Amino acid sequence: MSLLDVLRYRWRALSRPNVHEEEVAEELDFHLELEAMQRAHAAHGTLSPEDARYAARRRLGNATYYREETRRISGITFLDTVQQDVRFALRSFRRTPTFTAIAIVTLAVGIGANTAMFSAIDALLLQPLQFREPDRLMSISLTRPGPHGGPIRDDIPWSSPKFELFRAAQDVFADETLWMGSQFTVRVTDEAVRVFGEFVDSHYLPTLGIQPAMGRGFFEAEDHDLGGARVAVLSHRLWEDLFSADSTALGRTIDVDGMPYTVVGVAPPTFRGLSGQAALWMPMASSPSGWGLTNPTAHNYFAVARLAPAVSIPRAMAVVAALGTRVDATFPDPKVASVHWGAAMHPLDSARLDGRARQILVILFAAVGLVLLIACANVANLFLVRASGRRREISVRLAIGAGRWRLVRQLLIESVLLSLAGGVASLVVAWGGTRLISDLHPASALRMHDVAGVEILNYTTIHLNVAAFVFAAIVAIATGILFGLVPALQATNPSLSESLKDDGAARTIRIRGLTSRNVLTVVEIALAVVLLAGSGLMLRSLGRLLAVHPGFDADHVLVLRTNRAPLWSRDSISRFYDVAIERVSRIPGVTGVGMADCPPLVECTGMPVVFPDRPPAPPGAEAMAGVHWITPGWPTVVHVPLVRGRMFTRDDVVGRRRVVLVSETAARTFWPNQDAIGRPVSVGGPDTAYVAGIVGDVSYGPLDAAPRPDVYVSYYQAPLSFRMMLFVRTRVDPSSLANAVRVALREVAPGFPVYDVRPLDDHVRDATDYARVSAQVLALFAALALALAMIGTYGVIAFAVSQRTREIGVRIALGATSADVVRLVVGQGLALGAAGGAIGLTAAIALTRSLRSLLYGIEPTDTVTLVGIVAILVLAVIVASWMPARRAAGVPAMHALRGS
Amino acid sequence: MAGARDPERSDLLKGTLDMLVLQTLTVRPLHGYAIAQQIEALSNEVLRVEQGSLYPALERLQKKGWVTSKWGESPTGRRARYYTITAAGRRQLGDQISSFDAMLVAINGVLRRT
Repeated sequence: MSLLDVLRYRWRALSRPNVHEEEVAEELDFHLELEAMQRAHAAHGTLSPEDARYAARRRLGNATYYREETRRISGITFLDTVQQDVRFALRSFRRTPTFTAIAIVTLAVGIGANTAMFSAIDALLLQPLQFREPDRLMSISLTRPGPHGGPIRDDIPWSSPKFELFRAAQDVFADETLWMGSQFTVRVTDEAVRVFGEFVDSHYLPTLGIQPAMGRGFFEAEDHDLGGARVAVLSHRLWEDLFSADSTALGRTIDVDGMPYTVVGVAPPTFRGLSGQAALWMPMASSPSGWGLTNPTAHNYFAVARLAPAVSIPRAMAVVAALGTRVDATFPDPKVASVHWGAAMHPLDSARLDGRARQILVILFAAVGLVLLIACANVANLFLVRASGRRREISVRLAIGAGRWRLVRQLLIESVLLSLAGGVASLVVAWGGTRLISDLHPASALRMHDVAGVEILNYTTIHLNVAAFVFAAIVAIATGILFGLVPALQATNPSLSESLKDDGAARTIRIRGLTSRNVLTVVEIALAVVLLAGSGLMLRSLGRLLAVHPGFDADHVLVLRTNRAPLWSRDSISRFYDVAIERVSRIPGVTGVGMADCPPLVECTGMPVVFPDRPPAPPGAEAMAGVHWITPGWPTVVHVPLVRGRMFTRDDVVGRRRVVLVSETAARTFWPNQDAIGRPVSVGGPDTAYVAGIVGDVSYGPLDAAPRPDVYVSYYQAPLSFRMMLFVRTRVDPSSLANAVRVALREVAPGFPVYDVRPLDDHVRDATDYARVSAQVLALFAALALALAMIGTYGVIAFAVSQRTREIGVRIALGATSADVVRLVVGQGLALGAAGGAIGLTAAIALTRSLRSLLYGIEPTDTVTLVGIVAILVLAVIVASWMPARRAAGVPAMHALRGS
Repeated sequence: MAGARDPERSDLLKGTLDMLVLQTLTVRPLHGYAIAQQIEALSNEVLRVEQGSLYPALERLQKKGWVTSKWGESPTGRRARYYTITAAGRRQLGDQISSFDAMLVAINGVLRRT
């Protein structure tokens, strides 16, 4: 009760000071009146009421003083002076707009960039997966010795029969599930949407601990109903898109790749499946071909299992390894008896980002941390400069009687105000930065295709991380307050006479202050150099990467994907190729049309290659090649050159002698020192084909990887009814023809979904995104760092010049030219730059070694980069010290000599 | 503006005033003038409480939550602020009295009066 009363009392006094004061006055008045009455009474009428009152007042003394005293005790005075200080601070900010703006921008950038970056890292790496007890979820895969005694591959998906064996024998998991992801065309009305979906078993949702938001999951019986059980669970988002979130959607029918499916459930809003992007789930058994559910070598499925209670990870690992041996005994390698498969387990959490993406994120985070350090150094510097500039003002105020605490408090209020403004501004930067990062699509930016199996990461969840913001804000604001306050305490030291005198005696103090500022500037420059080196290397590496010729010409080519519609059987599909190519070729502006099954720069499936004229390959050493379906016109359309032999013709059809084209690398790898033309080879099947021609290498994998052997098969000889991409070479801007191509295809093949229509350039850009994004973000950070370091240098030099005005005046009076003065000042800047540069380069050479695995085609100690940094640094320092130098050179000698 | 003190006035020992004010309020709520009167009367006019110290003291005591105040009607019909001691104030008073007693014993000891 008492505490509440105190608060209420204080609040009343502070919130309505006037009422409170009136009450105090009234109380004093009442006291006076009683005192006067008492006196009159005591004097037995010898004292007139006026005299009595007068006497009472005399006894009271200085009423105003006591009123003030009461005010001070009630806290009203404190509030008043705080108000004064705030007003004063705002006035002083208005007087120094440049300082204020720079301080606010520095804080905003430092805090904002860190918050944005950390928000991304938090969403991508740190936040627990969105499943129940995610740390109990394990990813289980098959293992197999690598070819040529290479490293063991431990990310091989399961086949359903092998997993059933595993499932029946294991006793360490509470539940386990198989799943595989794929793209699907879904339609409810005429409009088709292309979505990512997953084929799963009935254990999928229970294993992950997900309850459907509506309807049901899948039944055990649906796992075994091959070709039947066409039921689907929709993501919350797809349900909203297709059915406008209508609850009557349950029981409705949707068309998935030409097959009718009944909607039986809707997933909770944030759930996107193990792929992190699924919009649709269907029973595996319902897939058109059953996806090889009964085939023990159809390794299509990823497995995730939940540890049973009280089972430790090491124990489960041992059980998984033992069961791997058992699976291998039951299903030995079909080709090579001496190759033994196994099984391995990893926590699901470790599978969400591959090592390279993790490394990029960590490097970017380190970089942005350096930016924060530089920002702090800069803020410290700014406040130091400002405080020294006000030493005199402070001394004067002390001399005429200002309380020390009051002065310190006032400086503190200024620091806090400025820091708060910076903090608010940084929120804007952080918000924008976070939006920018989620727009970058980190999945492709971080080259997520490389992730083995699981892409759980849900990059749509990147949003402003409050904890990160608070952390960065506290660091930066504390810096501001600290460096705003230290000089204040120093300046308010009792020895004020020294500061009151002009230059002379005060110089010692100033030089000490200047030294600490110099150190800060050198540190800033050194940190900026480290960032410049890192980003310089990444940019050079990016340049090398972009300069790699991918083996085809992506300019002026439109690409679109299409897929078989139920109407077209495998036998009639060749006619579709002809009709489609002919129809699209007639569109004005189109100069050539070809088809292929796999876009360049995306890892396409490799297949074992067998050479019928040779003995079978030794165990584990089977040759592998990328196998691609193309139409005869495709190499011409994308400018893949013929090296020797001939291209496909329209006459290479089913029934004729089977021919293939091979890439230069394939020719060199498979037939070293021989002519590949005419050699027999079989890919992905028992039929033998003969090499008809050798074509140039095309980068089907990442640009920075060496080209793999590739084998081309003609669509007309081995009809393929799914996976078709149309490549359209155009005379005009390819995007402008997108609609015409769509319309043309709809005419010849009404049921075919057409999607992903965009220029081939786009695909190339996607494939280099990971390098581009990391290099560009790092470059942005380096640019920020350099800008901040320049501001810091400018501040120090400008301050030094203002301190040396008299000295410079003397020099000019003694005959120094303005060039001499400029040289003097710029020289001081260069000295700072040299010190910072030397430290920075040393650190950079030590640190950039960690970038090695991310660099393509250059060494971390790349001379061009290092020399470039030195050049940029020198230039930056000259620019930063030029303005103060010019100002110094323009000082009129007499003015300078008279003193400030 | 600091340190405007009147040396002629016999100021109470610092801190003692709080104790005396609290003590007078233990019987019943009083207004400021009555508190001053009471202290003077009980001390046989030896201790004189000046307004200048009384009202700031009351302000301080309220701020600490040892007394509360309420406006009421005085016998003369004027509005007056009546002060009441709180439970915390009573505890505080007990503490102050015991330490004051200890101090008195100590001083008497030094003066060899016991």
